[in-house]
Amino acid sequence: MIEVSNISKQVSTTEGTLNILHEINLSLASGESLAIVGPSGSGKSTLLGILAGLDLPTAGSVSLNGEDITAMDEEGRATVRAGHVGFVFQSFHLLPGLTALENVALPLELQGDKDALKTAAYYLKRVGLEHRTTHYPRQLSGGEQQRVAVARAFACRPTILFADEPTGNLDTGTGEKINDLLFDLNKEEGTTLVLVTHEHNLAARCGQRLVLAAGRQVDQTAPKKKAVVKKTVAKRAAVKKASVKKTVIPKAKVKAKTRAKPKTVAKAKAKPKATPKPKAAPKPTAAPKSKAQGSKR
Amino acid sequence: MQALKMLLRTWRGGQLGLIVWSLVLAVSVVTSVSLLAERIERALTAESSAFLAADLVVRSNKPTPQAWITEAGLQGVETSQMVSFASMVYHQSDMHLASIKAVQSNYPLRGLIKRSTTPFTFDESLIEAVNYGPAPGETWVDARLLPLLNIELGDNIELGDTILKVTQIIVEEPDGGSYSFFGARVLMNWGDVAAAGIVQPGSRVTYKYLMASGADQNAFTGYSDWLKDQLSIHDRLITPDEAQASIASTMDRGRRFLLLAGSIGVVLAGIALALASHHFAAGQTQQVALLKSWGIPASRVRSLYLQQSLWLGVGGSLVGLSVGYGFSELLISIVREWLPIALPNAGIRPWITGMATGLLCLGGFTLPALWHLPAQPPLAVLRQDIQVAPVSSAIRGAFGIAAVAGLLLWYSNSVYLSLAILAGFALTALATVIIGLAMLRLGKNYGQRLGSIWRLALNNLWRRRSQSLIQMVGFSGAIALLMIMVVVRTSLIDEWRFQLAEDAPNHFLVNVAPYELDGVRDLVNAQNLETAGWYAMVRGRMTAINGQPITEAQKDSHESFRRELNLSWTAELPDGNKITEGQWWGEVDSATTIAPVSLEDEIAEELGLKLGDRITFSVGGLIFESEVVNTRTLNWDNMTPNFYFLFPEGLLEEYPRTSMTSLYIPPKQKLLVNDLLRKYPTVQVIELDKIIDRIRTIVSQVTRGLEIMTLLILSCGVLVMFAAVSLSMSERLQESAILRTLGSSRRLILGIQLVEFSTLGIMAGLLAAIGAEAAVVMLQYFMFDLPLALHPWIWVTGPIAGGVLVGALGVGYSRKAVVQPPLEVLKSL
Repeated sequence: MIEVSNISKQVSTTEGTLNILHEINLSLASGESLAIVGPSGSGKSTLLGILAGLDLPTAGSVSLNGEDITAMDEEGRATVRAGHVGFVFQSFHLLPGLTALENVALPLELQGDKDALKTAAYYLKRVGLEHRTTHYPRQLSGGEQQRVAVARAFACRPTILFADEPTGNLDTGTGEKINDLLFDLNKEEGTTLVLVTHEHNLAARCGQRLVLAAGRQVDQTAPKKKAVVKKTVAKRAAVKKASVKKTVIPKAKVKAKTRAKPKTVAKAKAKPKATPKPKAAPKPTAAPKSKAQGSKR
Repeated sequence: MQALKMLLRTWRGGQLGLIVWSLVLAVSVVTSVSLLAERIERALTAESSAFLAADLVVRSNKPTPQAWITEAGLQGVETSQMVSFASMVYHQSDMHLASIKAVQSNYPLRGLIKRSTTPFTFDESLIEAVNYGPAPGETWVDARLLPLLNIELGDNIELGDTILKVTQIIVEEPDGGSYSFFGARVLMNWGDVAAAGIVQPGSRVTYKYLMASGADQNAFTGYSDWLKDQLSIHDRLITPDEAQASIASTMDRGRRFLLLAGSIGVVLAGIALALASHHFAAGQTQQVALLKSWGIPASRVRSLYLQQSLWLGVGGSLVGLSVGYGFSELLISIVREWLPIALPNAGIRPWITGMATGLLCLGGFTLPALWHLPAQPPLAVLRQDIQVAPVSSAIRGAFGIAAVAGLLLWYSNSVYLSLAILAGFALTALATVIIGLAMLRLGKNYGQRLGSIWRLALNNLWRRRSQSLIQMVGFSGAIALLMIMVVVRTSLIDEWRFQLAEDAPNHFLVNVAPYELDGVRDLVNAQNLETAGWYAMVRGRMTAINGQPITEAQKDSHESFRRELNLSWTAELPDGNKITEGQWWGEVDSATTIAPVSLEDEIAEELGLKLGDRITFSVGGLIFESEVVNTRTLNWDNMTPNFYFLFPEGLLEEYPRTSMTSLYIPPKQKLLVNDLLRKYPTVQVIELDKIIDRIRTIVSQVTRGLEIMTLLILSCGVLVMFAAVSLSMSERLQESAILRTLGSSRRLILGIQLVEFSTLGIMAGLLAAIGAEAAVVMLQYFMFDLPLALHPWIWVTGPIAGGVLVGALGVGYSRKAVVQPPLEVLKSL
């Protein structure tokens, strides 16, 4: 699903060239979840942006569903995003002039979905906001706004969901609820999840973990064993089947479901070549400074 | 439809308020002024025609050729004839030299005659308006004639060989100024002229041939063109504009002011739109990044915003057209009183102008501000420091100026007006950028020595200097344009009031003999009336030019060559006169054989005379030669005696002379004229009271209309200031909220806002005076024929008004930073 090969990112500043990312490699199978962790300024969001096709690396390549997005122009990447990608942001990014329902429906309307409002209503109900559909963002709490954002992201039936510090602006309790929602929906929809987080327990819920320090890949948790993977995949399929029977799914979603079904599980790629200090490296990620505050990365 | 949906949602969210109101205001100002100006133009044409009692007149000393009347009949043009002359009228032993006008039954072709059976009445209920003249055997007379001949209504008077029955009193005729002679007016039927036997070959009469358009305007135009080729040197074509130059001049000035006000309103609304669009675009960058993160390509983003702009332009323009129509109806209801006829419809041009204004404003001000949005990188959803740069200020400014210039030219159809406004605004903007930056720096440096509020405020202005300069350009531009309008309006109204003061002279007394002068003076003084001074003159005739006797051809070409002229003398250049060529004379030797003469410049041109030409005059048979030493312009509107030919003192005093003056006679003392004529029957009285009253009424109504337009334009100015204030508001509110969380008092925070905005306003007001003064000078000279003058008061009131207005707006807007809890303020931003 996601194949990252030796991507690096450099930017020119007044003080010279700045290496934001250095030879990052990863592989993520369809349906898996990846947490990108690291201290502020380690390049997490930069990496997320590159993976999502929002930015281009200086070197290396990224493939989403077998398509090399780094070889595409912005129009091409936009097409890939339209077909496959969803986002949840730390600052929610809801449009203040639209109601909750309209915020969720907007990306669907822009894609020409005639059942956009119906789909939006379904997902708002799914996140527990069926009574707040006509409310504007300013009338919603932070947690409610993020739930709307989550509903919006999943309403587009993405194959990959990128979340940038989804609970960064929320208190612990609310954040936990959002995390639960995120993973529940992720499980139901079979979406591949990539999230950037400071939170240790959120990162622990993901199948893979990529640790960055000063733009370098410090650690990547090995993928689960094959048998476990197969079981997980089978269980997921069963859950999905059950959820398809139970819930009312608008027509458009059926098509998307067919398209998104993964056939095989991609294998984990080889580790990065030059990692002189895998164990001796300090564990900056093991001690997140604070959970809720700060948006620096 | 997706674009329309997005637009409606954005409107609902309150982000489009300023843009929409700016657009609506621009269109409504243009539409209301265009509708009003167009309808006034049409009404004025009709009114002017009423002053002629026709659409076109030929005046001649010969009867109208039958061929003209026949051709008119074939073209469907309505015609009428009349003849004017002076004649004695008698009743028993009383007599009077009256001004007679004989008209056909279809007179007047335009306008109405007001008549009454009650002499000297002002009661409208006793006055009747009719569109026909007296029947054969009847006559309608000036009320003054009754005491002069000791008659009453129903009595007969003798005119030549005929007897006419006095049946009505003339209150007002549409072409009331058309009498050529100065006795009491007598209106009679055309058919009675032959029976009177007065008009003989060689009689001094004036014929008028009146024409009016029928249903086919093109046929009338064709006939007029044909007629022009038939005219001889005896004939003079008179158009409606020439008929009553004073009223036409007044209305023309009023119409130009309306155009000026409308133009300024458009420019102000355009500035507001530009500022509002800039502010709106800044708030759209995150939304665009979000759309692009969802995979919406840049081309689709551009298409969405273009469609939204189009919907906005059309929708806003339609609302603006409706508001403009409502406003024009309000204005028309105010000015309707002086319009004797129903206002014609305006036609389609104002509507097209309004709609085009909306679309042009959008294209020139809004689209450039939004143009960069599709290039916003999607990565901005993750990194808010990434922003696509807007189109450069220079390019946006160029688009804005092009839009404004195009709008001004199309709307006003006047290069001078457009140039004046653009020059005023450009000068103000330039001064703001250059001098404004220096002022901000000075303020920052000086502020270090002041208290904390001043120090912080002036520092903030410097820190945000780019934004401060943009705001200052907006403020100073608005203040400059408003000042231009107020100054011109005040000058216009002052000029009218001066010319048409309640006690402005409304009668001229002419041909007062030296031995009558004291007696006339005493008669006037006995009524407690004051004259505008007595002016002596002699009657003389030109006999030769540069030694060549005046030819018959010259006599036929201009009446000044064939009749006696009024020649007067003065040592000083009279008030209201201005030298255009040559020099005024100093001391002149009375023994000189060649007298210097000063000519009015238009008569000099008509007579083909220039500096250095020698004119030979005959005064009472005595011949003397003169040389043209200067030409001058006159002010005909000040109702004081003016002379075409002036000589120095000491040269003509020995010739037989008469005196003239002008004075104000109130309506209740009108019979002084009768007393005067009874005692001094050779004195001529020119009555202008009716026409002045009419002008005064028109001016007062037009003035009220101008006041309302001024209010509308002021609201445009306030909108601009509001838009400029809102530019920096979110940043200011954020800062203020943070300061409050750190424990700053409300006094400190509001004080900082007050000092910042007031300082901006004062600086802007001062800079605005530069551009305003320059523009007003241009407008006064080229557009309004007003005397050139500087206006020191705008250098004081501009900064004060700017400081107060901008300060109040800024503090009012930022109050929520101290009223609401800081966290609420921060969350809302």
